[in-house]
Amino acid sequence: MRKTFTFLSTAAAAVVCIPLTLTPGKAQAPTTPAKAVAKAVGKGSRMPDGKPNLNGVWEYIGTANWDIQDHSPAPGPMWQLGAIGAIPAGRGVVEGNEIPYKPAALEQKKKNKANWPADDPEAKCYMPGIPRATYMPFPFQVIQSNKDILMAYEYASANRLINMGKPIEAGSDTWMGTSNGHWEGDTLVVDVTGLNGLSWFDRAGNFASDKLHVVERYKRRSNDVMDYEAAIDDPSVFTRPWKISLPLYKRAEKNAQILEFKCVEFAEELLYGKYKKQPTSK
Amino acid sequence: MREHVLTSLIVLSAVLASVLLVTLPVIGQSPDTKSKKSTYTPPKLPWGDPDLQGLWPGTDLIEVPLQRDAKAGERTEVTQEEFAQRQAKAERTAENDKVAYVAKDSKVGINPPGYWLEHGKPQKITSLVVDPPNGRIPELTEQAKQKAAQAKQAKQGHGPNETWEDQSLYDRCISRGVMGSILPVIYNNGTQIVQGPGYVAIRYEMIHETKIIPLDGRPHPGSNIKSYMGDSRGHWEGNTLVIETTNFLGDKNGIGLNGGGTPHSADMVLTEKWTRTGPDMMEYTATINDPKTWVRPWTIRMPLRLNPEFPLYEYACHEGNYAMFNMLKGARAEEKAAEEAAKTGKK
Repeated sequence: MRKTFTFLSTAAAAVVCIPLTLTPGKAQAPTTPAKAVAKAVGKGSRMPDGKPNLNGVWEYIGTANWDIQDHSPAPGPMWQLGAIGAIPAGRGVVEGNEIPYKPAALEQKKKNKANWPADDPEAKCYMPGIPRATYMPFPFQVIQSNKDILMAYEYASANRLINMGKPIEAGSDTWMGTSNGHWEGDTLVVDVTGLNGLSWFDRAGNFASDKLHVVERYKRRSNDVMDYEAAIDDPSVFTRPWKISLPLYKRAEKNAQILEFKCVEFAEELLYGKYKKQPTSK
Repeated sequence: MREHVLTSLIVLSAVLASVLLVTLPVIGQSPDTKSKKSTYTPPKLPWGDPDLQGLWPGTDLIEVPLQRDAKAGERTEVTQEEFAQRQAKAERTAENDKVAYVAKDSKVGINPPGYWLEHGKPQKITSLVVDPPNGRIPELTEQAKQKAAQAKQAKQGHGPNETWEDQSLYDRCISRGVMGSILPVIYNNGTQIVQGPGYVAIRYEMIHETKIIPLDGRPHPGSNIKSYMGDSRGHWEGNTLVIETTNFLGDKNGIGLNGGGTPHSADMVLTEKWTRTGPDMMEYTATINDPKTWVRPWTIRMPLRLNPEFPLYEYACHEGNYAMFNMLKGARAEEKAAEEAAKTGKK
């Protein structure tokens, strides 16, 4: 009998609710339980399944994209920009500061640097690859679901899905690679293979080949700081594996969001300018 | 007693259901999307949002025209005879795809062989545009007609490959816009939804785009921030994800395949709705409201099928855009050859 009462009161509640639901103005109101979202996204450092919650807009602060090794300030390639175009000094993010290049590879690195910026895939608006995407001077957003994890980078609209299920083999070589992730305690470990080796590590010409294998580790130090590591292995370019480590900071603005940076338009003159019918006056 | 209460409850629910059915179309957002109210309840994510995740490619719908054949009038589905024709065509295509070698007498062209292209499944729907009721894109405004005429005139006497800007935004690998990214085309129709607490992200395969949609009710940025894909905000209406996108770059992409068609203005407001109608079906609608370009709002509807096996590839469009180099270089070489020929002719 008591059950019957519950049924009845539920029905009554439903009846009371109907006029509200049918009010046109109300139809627009978000029905996501705002509190639940705030709990999960804002203060909550864990997902409902207990895994660390990495959701958010993240960005590295530093000069690694200029040079992942220690570097002094230097003039930029365009005097017209004055001090605006100069290269800032910075501490390296390579553990031990040494990149163990094989002799021929070191020559190639020097060549790359000499041909910067024209040869830098960043100047051409090519996808940045891994790990460079992580420490470019642009934010990226992590969308962590109950299954896979999406990383969307502002630069060149690059993105990649980290498969958290049964590991998949890289179908073919790509710019952003094939990412398989798993948790080791509170650390997200991402194994990246199938990289095409056409990306650089930085504007200083550091590079690898299509034999590159990157193992990334993401671990939250606090709500607003996440430690990032990338173990680099490429026996055709380096004499031994080496490692990058740097902190990523959460963009704390209330309205933080990834904006659109479609850089193709900014690179077309550089790429195709000499094949134009009426060359652009310089 | 209990039985009696239950019976009254059933009757009551039936009454309520009919009230809902009758009332909803009247108060619904757009009378155009004559959507049959879905009774399917999608699974929920651990944080309470409906689970829309997965790969929802539009591949099945490739052969459905965007606009309806004028002869079909307000008919939303093909006749049995027309459907049989569609089926027969699909069978012929499948048969052609089996051909391993080109015929000896076939001509060389720039288009890929038929089997490179993906094919849809025969559909009953007559068009993707469902509103206006004739399934046709509404008339352009006077302003938009003038703009189109001016754009056409500006191209007069201009070669096809004088600069990269002679090519479309699609051929330049910049963007196909929101609608150009989801309307089914010849290949790489991957559309993937990933959800996190407070966010929905939609990945579009070709060119590679990610649309991130905050669900927390935050306002759009000011009008100084404009982009090809626009700025999206979302909320749930029951189990339907409603996305409103504004802040577009105007006079760039259109609403047609691959971003073609008449370009929309910067003031367009795009309202998309994603509703799961079954374990593997999604109803997708998009209402285009751009009074500067079209005389009335119009709506596209697509039934999308979940395909967990769909291989979504990295589409490095710009990185592999050899065609752009070759088109420009070819045009310059032709000009040079013509110049040389003229010189020799004079001598």
